[in-house]
Amino acid sequence: MSLELGVKSSELRETKRKTITVAVAGNPNSGKSTLINAIAGSRLYVGNWPGVTVEKKSAMFEYEGSKIKLVDLPGTYSLSPYTQEEIIARDYLITEKPDVIINVVDATNIERNLYLTIQMLELGIPVVIALNIYDEAEQKGYRINTKAMEEMLGITVIPTVATKKSGLNDLLKAATEAAANPSRYAPKQLHYSEDIESAATFIQTHLNEHHSSLQKRYPMRWLAFKVMEGDSHMMKEAGLDIDISLIEQATKHLTRAHGDDIESIMADERYAFAAGLTREMVKRPEIRKMELTEKIDKVVLNRFLGIPIFLAAMWLVFKLTFDLSQPFGDWIDGATAGPLSRLAAKAITAVNGPLWVASLATEGVLAGVGFVLAFVPVIFAMMFFITFLEGSGYMARAAFVMDRAMHSMGLHGKSFIPMLLGFGCNVPGIYATRTLENPRDKALTALLLPLMSCGARLPVYVVFIGAFFTTHAGTVLWSMYVMGIALAILMGVIFKRTLFRGESPMFIMELPPYRMPSLRNLLIHTWEKGKHFLIKAGTYIFAVSIIVWFLLNLPWGVESKKDSYLGKTGQVIAPVLEPIGFGNWEAASALVTGLIAKEIVVGTMAEIYAVEQEEQEETTVSEDIREIGASFTAAVGDSIRNVFATFGVTSISAEEDDSVSGLRTVIQKAFTPLTAYAFMAFVLLYMPCVVVAIAMKHEFGTWKWFGVAFGYQMVLAWVVALTIYQGGKLLGIGI
Amino acid sequence: MSPLGLLSAGEKAEVMEIRIPKVSLNKSVKDQTCHAEDMGLRAGKVVEMLNNGGGGPILLKINESRIAISRGIAMRVMVKRITS
Repeated sequence: MSLELGVKSSELRETKRKTITVAVAGNPNSGKSTLINAIAGSRLYVGNWPGVTVEKKSAMFEYEGSKIKLVDLPGTYSLSPYTQEEIIARDYLITEKPDVIINVVDATNIERNLYLTIQMLELGIPVVIALNIYDEAEQKGYRINTKAMEEMLGITVIPTVATKKSGLNDLLKAATEAAANPSRYAPKQLHYSEDIESAATFIQTHLNEHHSSLQKRYPMRWLAFKVMEGDSHMMKEAGLDIDISLIEQATKHLTRAHGDDIESIMADERYAFAAGLTREMVKRPEIRKMELTEKIDKVVLNRFLGIPIFLAAMWLVFKLTFDLSQPFGDWIDGATAGPLSRLAAKAITAVNGPLWVASLATEGVLAGVGFVLAFVPVIFAMMFFITFLEGSGYMARAAFVMDRAMHSMGLHGKSFIPMLLGFGCNVPGIYATRTLENPRDKALTALLLPLMSCGARLPVYVVFIGAFFTTHAGTVLWSMYVMGIALAILMGVIFKRTLFRGESPMFIMELPPYRMPSLRNLLIHTWEKGKHFLIKAGTYIFAVSIIVWFLLNLPWGVESKKDSYLGKTGQVIAPVLEPIGFGNWEAASALVTGLIAKEIVVGTMAEIYAVEQEEQEETTVSEDIREIGASFTAAVGDSIRNVFATFGVTSISAEEDDSVSGLRTVIQKAFTPLTAYAFMAFVLLYMPCVVVAIAMKHEFGTWKWFGVAFGYQMVLAWVVALTIYQGGKLLGIGI
Repeated sequence: MSPLGLLSAGEKAEVMEIRIPKVSLNKSVKDQTCHAEDMGLRAGKVVEMLNNGGGGPILLKINESRIAISRGIAMRVMVKRITS
């Protein structure tokens, strides 16, 4: 049963060209995502729902002469307005009125899934059920009477196995048929208890009489239910302002018998209906075997083994990510800095371009953009492993295991993963906050994340430690990481009591069964996660690197770096840095350029202190090209070797080139051990780099959280550096 | 009746009552409770404790799914043990 879609596009009859909008809705973990991928494949477009960062997938394709627009709704358990996902799904169904809903129902867990189905049937939009994961249900010995299910619900039910692409053709056929004949659609809706029905009829009559314009926009019976439930979100949306006394009059029988909470009475009736239907159509085997998932969970979630297993898994992901990607990152970095820059310079000289253009292209654009491109391998590698952990079901377990420890920071278990990724690079960490549903958790996690000392800060540490702390190198380096973590906990506690007051959200989460994710799904999601970085960061960085180049080279013909705009900026800022130990324009300018990315601090210092750079050898064009190729081959080799080599390889090591030793000598004159340590702390804390800023803007749709991060980190960095410097001076350490 | 959070792994129980004020001043508490109910944790349901170790969240089997909930909620759900 394979699927052949869109092959007959040339034979399309023009008459049937109306676009059919198909909304795909269902519970989380019902295999909805796999089903969408299986149907749409490469035609899938992933964006965000307007104003929020919940992913929106859609696809346009042709099926048997009809144009189909497939829209994936967020996975929800109900259409009540309690979570962002539920509101999105409901608003879409109500306002966009798709032609048909494909309701993906997990065949192994029908009762809970039907609860959502029952709510959807009240909307008046044709519903077709994809009874997914059908194979697993059969393996478990469930006998599902799909005929009975169709009769009892009055809608079409198609068994599907999305992972094997089976049933999908029938599903699409049923969906297009349902969409084409809306008049024939007659679902069997839940008939609530008499008190509820009569109250609903009363309100519906009132609505029909006094708000008849709403009939075009909403199913009126459903709207009457919402009014009874006191759904303020829906009433506001519909512009309904109904007298409370009228609602009270309608529901007085109900409230007298059951108390005030009509909403939960109705929910209970829906649930009872779902349970009753399930009893009628599913026969379960008497004895339940312990499932593999439960066996694995017994070990993985064990109170003693849980955390060690989690740490080991994370270590492995971390290590594999960097071992695999580092050589490629270095290759991109090396290629853009070396041969590509020389090629560009040659090309510009060849067409008699002015010298400054060559300099802008090489020192500005290629250095800047190449620098960002060097992040691409690590981000994609990390996203691949995260996707694997998510797809396999382990990510949810990690959150479960780490929940308790994270409470001290006002967060819960799920926030741990982005934090951990932050040690490699803050950027994928920020993108990983996407896995947190709650906007509060997401924002707080992203705010604390830049305190995790990322790989880009390492080169700065390496240079300064090499200059001053060679005897205690390991301890000093370790202290930087610990300082970041300690301050994150401190700031978490502070934020919990200030910006993020109110009860921290409780942890409720479904742990999906363990499944082996398919390579195809892994690649699709890795690409979707990583491409944003490639596009957005690439464009911004391109602009920023040009600006920095001009700042360093203007006013025109500037002789000394001190008189360039950047140098002058450094001179302006320097007094602010005076109390914390490094109030000179050189350090200030380096820190300014470090705003783009922290390792640039070292590069700028080298440039400012005019460290003698190795003379570049003359190379030919073909040599340059060969060099790129050769170093790529070497990178592939390194990458493979890294994966196989175990503990011996320090993957996240900063490379020392010749200019570093020169820089050290200069730094030893300009800094003392105390000011050096204060400077390192300042670099650790002072602000997230531009790429993180872009990631934050991208994830939150606003600059607000970056603004908060920028503000608190600047203050924190200054206060910490001040404490170190002044404290050290008082105690007479390291002066 | 006893709180759900006191069951040990392997025990089954019927949910009797969820003692979280439905009309609460704190909207997030109400939302979270309703969310838990939508996930299947509701009165009358038979649930099985899968994992209850240490002070962290607990893991329940509800219908055919595994739902993790924080201890705070678990202590406010009253259940009746089912002896098999």
